[in-house]
Amino acid sequence: MKLSNDNTVVDTPQVVGRYRVIPLIQEGASAASQTAKATADIQESLGLPGTLVDDWHDKAIARLGQLLKARRGLRVFMDTCTKCGACTDKCHYFLGTHDPKNMPVARQDLLRSVYRRYFTWAGRLFPWLVGARNLDKSLLQDWYTYFHQCSECRRCTVFCPKGIDTSEVTMAGREVLASIGLGQQYSQEIIGKVHSIGNNLGMKPRALADVLQSLEEDILEDTGVAVRLPLDDEGADMLVVTPSADFFAEPHVDGLIGYAKVLHQAGIRWTFSSEASEAANFALFTGQHDHMRDIALRIRHAAMGLGVKRIVIGECGHAWRVAYSFLDTLVGPMEFLSPEHPRAEHICEVTHQLLTQGIIQLDPSRNADVVVTYHDSCNVARGAGMGDIDGGQFKIPRALLAASVPKLVDMSADTTGQATFCCGGGGGLLTDDLMDVRIKGALPRAQALQAVVSSDQVTHLVAICAICKTQLTSVLPHHNLSDVQVTSLHHLVGDALVLT
Amino acid sequence: MQGYLNRLAVFDLLLGLALTVIVAWALLGTCFKLYQWASTPSPLPIPLTPAPRTRYGVVVRLLAEIVLFRALAKANRVTWLASVFFHYGLLFVLIMHVRFFFASIPSSLLPFIVWSGWAALAMLLGLCVLLIRRIVVDRYRYISTPSDYLHLLLLISIGLSGVALKRLWPVDTFGVGEFLRGALTLQWQALPDGVVLVVHLVLVLLLFFVFPISKLLHGVGIVFSPTLNERDTSARSSSKGKPSQ
Ligand code: SF4
Ligand code: SF4
Repeated sequence: MKLSNDNTVVDTPQVVGRYRVIPLIQEGASAASQTAKATADIQESLGLPGTLVDDWHDKAIARLGQLLKARRGLRVFMDTCTKCGACTDKCHYFLGTHDPKNMPVARQDLLRSVYRRYFTWAGRLFPWLVGARNLDKSLLQDWYTYFHQCSECRRCTVFCPKGIDTSEVTMAGREVLASIGLGQQYSQEIIGKVHSIGNNLGMKPRALADVLQSLEEDILEDTGVAVRLPLDDEGADMLVVTPSADFFAEPHVDGLIGYAKVLHQAGIRWTFSSEASEAANFALFTGQHDHMRDIALRIRHAAMGLGVKRIVIGECGHAWRVAYSFLDTLVGPMEFLSPEHPRAEHICEVTHQLLTQGIIQLDPSRNADVVVTYHDSCNVARGAGMGDIDGGQFKIPRALLAASVPKLVDMSADTTGQATFCCGGGGGLLTDDLMDVRIKGALPRAQALQAVVSSDQVTHLVAICAICKTQLTSVLPHHNLSDVQVTSLHHLVGDALVLT
Repeated sequence: MQGYLNRLAVFDLLLGLALTVIVAWALLGTCFKLYQWASTPSPLPIPLTPAPRTRYGVVVRLLAEIVLFRALAKANRVTWLASVFFHYGLLFVLIMHVRFFFASIPSSLLPFIVWSGWAALAMLLGLCVLLIRRIVVDRYRYISTPSDYLHLLLLISIGLSGVALKRLWPVDTFGVGEFLRGALTLQWQALPDGVVLVVHLVLVLLLFFVFPISKLLHGVGIVFSPTLNERDTSARSSSKGKPSQ
């Protein structure tokens, strides 16, 4: 990709990384990486059985049957794979772990073999011929293991000649597992917290107000400008919904400060909401459409309660996919929004518009010596769009960076844009018990990054997703890249902003 | 009627009947799958983005996949090339077979008849590469089931027997046409003599038989893939200000 702005003209460097070498398969290589199963109370709080039910076999088949009738994608994907193998070397988890069950088609086959056995004539009559299998305990174990080694990033879909989306298969698999008592602790607990408290971290409104207030003080101290971070401001024009990591953790919080500075400078009256103090929607990861809708509904409800005219989503990858692609279908239409902004907007779209309209100014010299490369987050790249231009989700963040820093470098084209590699921690995998898989899954991204660090002395890796930022911060040191700073896009924008 | 049956040996009658039944089965079976796919709801839009915004754009996207195998070209050049050889070789040969629907050959089909030997060769070459890579590359071997090999072997056998009919043991093409037209219009005729011809026909019938219940449906399946056939409908409703590049 060629980006031009006043400061730099950047050519794509050639990646010399090892990821071009496709590993030999190593059966069972990551079978031991297990994510903890949800405890009984968490499962039950979501209306699911606490432990594996006695008639799990029949229940699982029945649930799968329901999903096949309810989701066209799943049914078509089960039928149309030709085992052409095009996807086999496209998954970062396979490239990192060498476990053949992490090849996208093999992951699908965990479910497809059962589909064939119970739902097709060929599989009922000649199971050995078509790779049909009974659902037994060992296959169930494989479901749990390998459906939790898929970040639902959809990179494999880009290369599948039939457009097969492994993430839909993974979601269906996890949905069936949860329905028979085998939910994943990490995701289900978070969904429970969003329902009961309003955000993934279980942060109460009072604590949130305190955090925002102390951040206001920090900004005032740093810049001498009284930038506000309002909470539940009725009468605001714009509701900002952001991943809760933005409220307290590095490097997220600097991004949050960036949003506040931009909106302050633009003179927009905006607010956070304590009811919808979380953009993330982990029900996307678990495939539970009913929960996804309920979680999305909070945003609609909060927006209507506050009387805002615009909804803006902060730097969160899957939240943006849900907001951009699903919100209308889940909880729309949003007729209360202003006709100029009839759908939820991405904070990058907002900032970019303000920049092109000349309402804010960015001065890259304020980020002197910063050399940035941009990591396209999978849900933004392959599950959403941005702005009104084709590929806006690739162009807008890069345009903002180009205006904010002296030098922007792109990683190799087969690791960016639509073909971007997942950070290795998405889709409900950002949990310590999967650290091994997370480190290995980050390998292709790390290799592409290493190439630009060597060729262009990149200092900062920018992402617009809370999961990417957390994951990359914790795993890059394992790939000898601890010198690269993982940064929020709006951190650099905020620092470059001419603030008055 | 009595005389008509007499002229047909039992074996010929069976072959003709089988052709009629299996063609009907393949058509009905395929229609059933299409109905099943079409009638299953797609609750959430899951196009792979960047996705086209217009129906026209979707048609272009699907055509690029169906005609050019675009995703495969991005994924793996060897597989892509082998697939192109196989699919286009097969298409060419299939068009050649249209001659059997006509009592006298339409002149537009002449080039296809003349060149079909080369097309069959391309098809066989592609199939062999597809088979070899499935056996040799550990990843492909891992994901392959017996039916995956058998599909390829079946197609290779059909191609080989077809080539044999063209080059080694030429058949009475007019008689084949009569047999075929007869079976499709329910006025069954005898198949001209020839063991290879019978083998070719039986293999093709086997292929038709598995068509609606196997991965061979993928050609039609692509059209129903929500990642490819859905539009990006959110883009249109975005904010008014046009971001510059
Ligand atoms: S690329 Fe698609 S069709 Fe080919 S093996 Fe993978 S999932 Fe199946
Ligand atoms: S969706 Fe992503 S993580 Fe899952 S199989 Fe495909 S490439 Fe791998």
